[in-house]
Amino acid sequence: MSLKRLLIVSILAIFCTQFAFASNPEEGGKEFNVGQHLMHHVLDSYDWELTEYKTGEDSAGNPIYGHLAIHLPRILYSSEHGLEFYSSTDAMRASGKYEVDSHGHAHIGHAGSESDHDHGPAVYDFSLTKTVVQMILISLLMLWIFGSMAKRYKKDPNRAPKGAQSLFEPIVIFVKDDIVAPNLKERTDGFLPYMLTLFFFIWFSNVFGLMPFNSNIMGNITVTTALALLTFILTNVNGTKDYWKHVFAMPGVPGWLWPLITVLEILGLFIKPFALTLRLFANIVGGHFMILSLVALIFILGQNGQLAWAGIAASPIAILFPAILMLLEFLVAGLQAYIFTLLTAVFIGMALESHDHEHAH
Amino acid sequence: MMLLEIGGIIGGLGAAVGAGLAAIGAGVGIGRIGASGVESIARQPEAINDLRGNMILMAALIEGPVFLAEVICLLALFL
Repeated sequence: MSLKRLLIVSILAIFCTQFAFASNPEEGGKEFNVGQHLMHHVLDSYDWELTEYKTGEDSAGNPIYGHLAIHLPRILYSSEHGLEFYSSTDAMRASGKYEVDSHGHAHIGHAGSESDHDHGPAVYDFSLTKTVVQMILISLLMLWIFGSMAKRYKKDPNRAPKGAQSLFEPIVIFVKDDIVAPNLKERTDGFLPYMLTLFFFIWFSNVFGLMPFNSNIMGNITVTTALALLTFILTNVNGTKDYWKHVFAMPGVPGWLWPLITVLEILGLFIKPFALTLRLFANIVGGHFMILSLVALIFILGQNGQLAWAGIAASPIAILFPAILMLLEFLVAGLQAYIFTLLTAVFIGMALESHDHEHAH
Repeated sequence: MMLLEIGGIIGGLGAAVGAGLAAIGAGVGIGRIGASGVESIARQPEAINDLRGNMILMAALIEGPVFLAEVICLLALFL
């Protein structure tokens, strides 16, 4: 019970930080910059932006836009100030201890300098960013859904599935029988929990990333890197003697070729997770870019409100195409989860294989 | 200043051409998978489940280098 209360309190603590109404005067008067808007949409940030709205006009009659955003807490550690908590980036800026650059990163002393080499004293930033908060929320949702399902199975394993169970049981069976079991064979049961977590985490994240006001976690290369790193560790930790023999002394290959083959094999060890990282990241970011660029057509053709009729004329295309692309992206969301899990299973399966017979590759 | 502008235009052009070339590569690769996949299914309709899984896996493997190219094009465009 107390654990539940702690969870509720911590979620509230994240969201009881203030809604901020801030206007950003430097954006007024500029043309609509598609690249900037697209990048802003897919990048991580220190506040959870909900929408933009017009706050007024500058002297030339150009609109000025403000952001409606939930400010997320900042947690910083530096040897100068120790461990510190702030409710928002603005509060951190107001404390005067840190200087904040245009990305919202905190520095001590050197915010203004353009030089990349001199950042001043190190500031370790453990802030909850948009991606982190979304990840926590999705994990809690998964814990809730699958936890309650598991409890029901434990209570009465022979009862027919009901509600969410009916939706997820076939998918769990699919992951077990079609992804994990053909590759991991007798080790299936040991790896199944991780594989299921991986599959559902990627799938949930991708689907939630398609919904409004959500952050696309898998469109953040650090997240996919972390997932691929787990695959890398699992593959190599579980590698059998035969697996390492194939890396360092490929059987069936003449000895004088071993140095060359070994270099290639060791490169291959790193290329596999690297390709995993990029595939997931680029698929999700590419999908978001496609949809956003089509929606951005309205604003490009309408020239920021100066040619309103052109924007209105473009909107049927700019609404219909993204609607169809959304369906495609919904398919891709599941497909990428499938591929990531499948490849992880294939790589681990390759590392677990032991060959009883000599053979040449 | 002029040179800088021309450089920017060439950079954008290069990114666009690179993205197109990568798409051609992916198209050829995935097209070949589709062609031989459908052919195999026609020859052996009972193996459709295995073939489908392998087709998706191969398409995913082809996508890897293509997306690498596309990300590099994006970097050339935005950075």
